[in-house]
Amino acid sequence: MNRASRLEGFGFIAPLLVLMVVAFNAPIVYMLGLAFWEKGRGFTLEHYEGLLEAPVYLRVLGNTMRIALIATIANIIIGYPLAHWMRGLGSRGRMIALALVVLPFWVSILVRTYAWIVVLGNGGIVNRALQWSGLTDAPVSFLYNELGVTIGMANVLLPFLVLPLFAAMIRIDDRLLQAAASLGAPPRTIFWKVYFPLTLPALAAGALLVFILCLGFYVTPAILGGGRVPMISNLLDTLINQIPRWEQASAISTILLIVTLVIFAAYRRLDRKASGT
Amino acid sequence: MSDIRLEGVTKRYGTFAAADQVDLSVTQGEFVTILGPSGSGKTTLLSLIAGLNRPTSGRIFIGGRDVTNATAQERNIGLVFQSYALFPHMSVLENVLFPLGVRKIGGAEADKLARDALKLVRLDGLEARRPSQLSGGQQQRVALARAVVFKPDILLLDEPLGALDRKLREELQVELKQLQRTLGVTTLLVTHDQEEALSLSDRIMVLDKGRTQQVAAPTEAYLRPANRFVAEFLGIANFVDLPDGRQGVVRPERVRLAGEGQGKAARVIEAIYLGQMVRYHLALDDNRSVVVAVPFLGTAHAPGERVSVSWESADVWPVT
Amino acid sequence: MKRRTFVGAATALPAVSLLGAGSARAQVKEIRMIESGGKSGESIEVGYIEPFTKKTGIKVIRESPNSLGKLRALVESGQTSTVLMELGSGTLVQAKNLKLIEPIDWAAVNPAAMFPEAKNEYGFGYQYFSTIMAWRAGAKAPKNWAEFFDTKAFPGKRCLPDFPHYSLPFAVMATGVPADKLFPLDVETGFKKLNEIKKDIAVWWKAGAQPPQLMKDNEVQYVICWSGRVVGDPAFGYNFAGGMADLAYFSIVKGSKPEDRAAAYKLMYEMSLPANQAKAATVISYTGPSPELDALLPKDKLSDFPSSKQNKSVQWFQNAEWWAANGEAVNKKWEAFKLGL
Repeated sequence: MNRASRLEGFGFIAPLLVLMVVAFNAPIVYMLGLAFWEKGRGFTLEHYEGLLEAPVYLRVLGNTMRIALIATIANIIIGYPLAHWMRGLGSRGRMIALALVVLPFWVSILVRTYAWIVVLGNGGIVNRALQWSGLTDAPVSFLYNELGVTIGMANVLLPFLVLPLFAAMIRIDDRLLQAAASLGAPPRTIFWKVYFPLTLPALAAGALLVFILCLGFYVTPAILGGGRVPMISNLLDTLINQIPRWEQASAISTILLIVTLVIFAAYRRLDRKASGT
Repeated sequence: MSDIRLEGVTKRYGTFAAADQVDLSVTQGEFVTILGPSGSGKTTLLSLIAGLNRPTSGRIFIGGRDVTNATAQERNIGLVFQSYALFPHMSVLENVLFPLGVRKIGGAEADKLARDALKLVRLDGLEARRPSQLSGGQQQRVALARAVVFKPDILLLDEPLGALDRKLREELQVELKQLQRTLGVTTLLVTHDQEEALSLSDRIMVLDKGRTQQVAAPTEAYLRPANRFVAEFLGIANFVDLPDGRQGVVRPERVRLAGEGQGKAARVIEAIYLGQMVRYHLALDDNRSVVVAVPFLGTAHAPGERVSVSWESADVWPVT
Repeated sequence: MKRRTFVGAATALPAVSLLGAGSARAQVKEIRMIESGGKSGESIEVGYIEPFTKKTGIKVIRESPNSLGKLRALVESGQTSTVLMELGSGTLVQAKNLKLIEPIDWAAVNPAAMFPEAKNEYGFGYQYFSTIMAWRAGAKAPKNWAEFFDTKAFPGKRCLPDFPHYSLPFAVMATGVPADKLFPLDVETGFKKLNEIKKDIAVWWKAGAQPPQLMKDNEVQYVICWSGRVVGDPAFGYNFAGGMADLAYFSIVKGSKPEDRAAAYKLMYEMSLPANQAKAATVISYTGPSPELDALLPKDKLSDFPSSKQNKSVQWFQNAEWWAANGEAVNKKWEAFKLGL
């Protein structure tokens, strides 16, 4: 594409870009700037110093990362085999499975979250089944702990992992796998040396997406965690809506944004290395 | 000794037989082509031999060993697909090292074998490239190198040149033939291209609707086709009535063309220049058509011109 | 739009706005308020807005939720459209300190008789609500906070507010500190008490709907929750004794238009009338600030209302000033405590 036509394209897209910057980016920059700039006081790092002095907020951030990581791993453990299984289905089966995976998108996140209480609560379906079958005497605590949060988040975010993964998997030519088999590779080798590496970029992208979404999760940890699993977005809610200490919230958000960007940059680096360009 | 033997190999999908009672015997070092139109079952047959599929009935032997129920990885076969099937996430060298790796051959030995194989297909210097950075012909050569690097008992080629343009295809045909002769590996090629089959193979097997039509040397099959299907599939066939009421086939090159009054009278419908040859489509007086191919010597008959044709009775092969 | 009509509209615009500026006492057609939503919002509609609109012809547009962050955003962006903001006692003090609200012109409101604590310089205390102990019907009933925190004598899972200002004072009371000596709050003692029973606290709630639902699902047996969520339901037992009374206020948003304020004061006047408060109490079990309200409420329901004589006398009042001064520091400790769960 030459320079002139590129500029012409820019002419078309410019109003959209302006809208994006003004409507979406400017408020974010303003919020983030709050931590550095105070009316009448000028530039300050006080709010970051405050964070270091009160490491509890950073600990909540760390806890959030840990939960996000667990939920992401749980998502991979469920999502990868699921996507792989869907690849093996006929076109009809694929459509049904895909619809089932996407279905949660159309149900309110609040409804889905409360549905887990019905399923996993002390008097829920799972616990009643467990006790009826005699496997346990007392109800198992699935909810109001990290397990509940992990299950809830995995459920809500599963489509974000399965969809890109499935798309990548159906693009893999069966003949590649047949070629590997004919070259003498046993199924394990075919999987780890051919199939898995070819799905890795999609897996990484999906996992990254899930991880980043986990970092910002609010409703599900609040309800299924029973308030016992402190997450950064709940803390930000307190700081923004209750106290309100916007400057402190802004400082935490900035750190969160930087961490997210660092993870994303690391992923891009790995991805570029893997694709060899 | 690494021959291929098929005994009554049949593959059914429901009531449809993709391969129907196929018998074939290929001797050590031989180059055999399975030729047929699309849907004839030739690729099915190849996948049965490669072990990617299991026959419904019949037995498959490779090197005297019954491999009917063996998996693909147990068969020690070099397989080349039309789509190349190179691993896109590996370099050229890594692709060729792959079959060595699964055979627990590593280090300097594997490296030498792989580089030798790449040299054999004239790709030395491109080891570090990714498949996506290569041309179609180069990719196919990588696939070849990968298929022969581990010294397979047999080499199976599934329309290996089908995706290439004509000039490249002809070049690679020569290379392929040379490579096969150098390695002395028993080779089975699947194609729908009769020219490719005739020019490359020691023998060809013509397949239609899952059934064997003829197994013979190329010239034999071309000049003495077993039936009408083979006659037509292997090239242009003129069908003529024989005195005994049967029909016979005469190839265009075997038909003599002369001026008016020196044989059966005919009229030129179309003259097609093929470089060294001219092909005439003629109409006899009884409106039957005949195709004649003669060397191009500077002048040619124009459409509408009246000519005459004749042939030796020895060049007519009776078909059913 | 045709070119001509566009030009016409453009020239007409300045004239209209000049007119608006010139007559400050122009007829107010509607005012906007931010309130806490749900049943509480409904009770405001039925009890106060309906009679107000009938008398003045002014409509009231309600909006929720009512977080302090939203108020700060409104004021800092220089808006003038919203005049009334509902605030809790704690957020009222914070909003005052952050200069987000204006003093109320009580002379202009000229209210009927009110409990003194409801007549705040910056807020019209329009609704009493209590934070009390409740339990699943059938569970052994505690009589005081020491018993509520005694998980051996009163076995069962607890559900406590995930807000330090609703949980900590009760923990301190459980150690024997009387209500009139609660503040300044001994935060360390409170955390120590909470730590003792943290294994039995299954859920820390954020939404007021959680504790009653959790009791119904038998996930928990004892809760500290807002009175309106449990009273009058035979599935629960509850006790106002030792409970914390609190007030929700309406305040005047800084920067709002004078004519809107004049209308807002008229609405406040409607809020001070006991007859209107009795109507509001038919929607929600929270009560208005009139000392004469008891007489208008159904006799058999008096035990359900936070400000009825029998309940008001056994509760203590939230100390909003203390929380405004110490809230942020306590919140940090609260987060640390939660991380240690």
